[in-house]
Amino acid sequence: MNTREKLSIILLSIGIILALLPLTGSRSFTVKPQNLLSDALDEKSWVTVDQAARFVATEDSSVLLIDLRSSGEFNRFNIPGSVNIPYDRFIEIAPGIISGSGNMKFILYSNGDYDANNAYVIAKGLKLKNIYVMKGGLNEWFNTVMNSRFTGERISARENSLYENRKRAGTMFTEINSLPDSLKRKYYEAKHVAAKKLDGGCE
Amino acid sequence: MNFIKKYKVILLILIPVVILVLTRALDTNHFRTDAKKLAEPSFSGSNIIIPDKVNQLNGEKLLIILGKDVIKHDLAGVVIKIIPPDSILYKENIRLIRKHDGPVILCSAENDLAIRIWMLLSQMGIENLYILSDDSEPEVLKYEFRPDTTVKPEL
Repeated sequence: MNTREKLSIILLSIGIILALLPLTGSRSFTVKPQNLLSDALDEKSWVTVDQAARFVATEDSSVLLIDLRSSGEFNRFNIPGSVNIPYDRFIEIAPGIISGSGNMKFILYSNGDYDANNAYVIAKGLKLKNIYVMKGGLNEWFNTVMNSRFTGERISARENSLYENRKRAGTMFTEINSLPDSLKRKYYEAKHVAAKKLDGGCE
Repeated sequence: MNFIKKYKVILLILIPVVILVLTRALDTNHFRTDAKKLAEPSFSGSNIIIPDKVNQLNGEKLLIILGKDVIKHDLAGVVIKIIPPDSILYKENIRLIRKHDGPVILCSAENDLAIRIWMLLSQMGIENLYILSDDSEPEVLKYEFRPDTTVKPEL
């Protein structure tokens, strides 16, 4: 077999392989369907609004909330400390933010449950880790956290803790979303300084 | 025989590669390419169908109940199949869905589950797939946020 024949066969082979492979640079799911199904059915993939409120109230830096609504909705108000990745751009943007972020937890939320659950499966399909969904979305946040009321004569320690947590997160939500954008960053900085002073820090 | 002997080395490389590529291309139980395109109906919510609109879908309708029987509506002319969510990927179930000539509607007691299974099946290239929901606009905020104009944070 001469060199020309060899080259022809190799080129032909490459041509066949390329013809069978999809020629697209778009992202695709890289996990096995059965593994993704297990993730989709995982009961631990949900967090309650009370859990999310605790992360907000304590300003837990190991948790990042991801708001899947449009940027317009996000700018009007959002859960303090969250970042905006509109759902229809999630596939392009999320891997860059989420992958390689160590043990950080990412909680997805939107107005309801629909976008967050879709985004959850997409994230898992793209092999992104530590993804959770805030069950009920902002509708549940308003219902449980923002409209939290205590009516009764006696309150148990657990109820009191829940109520205090909701109150703190709700107050932060209202305060920060009532500020003009220019003051939001200063608000966070001021809160950090105040927290350091309470902890006996040197600032 | 002479041909095989002559091209033995190339055939040894080429045949396994072609087999692998063909297996990948023809295997129906894996995810298709371009996740964004496959997820498109979920961006607009066009994959959600309310019970009153089910009869407006063309073709024979297959309703898959994920888990327990959750039918609260009178859906006439719909083929109903109950499949536990964890067995949705069994070969016979996937074959049933793929071979069904008409819309396939997913339904679960908790909508979350049907939403997640919808995305999974869609990424496997299954089309004409819907989620049965009482709420046609699940992403509408039912509350209004009123800023507190009296807020004066200590900065």
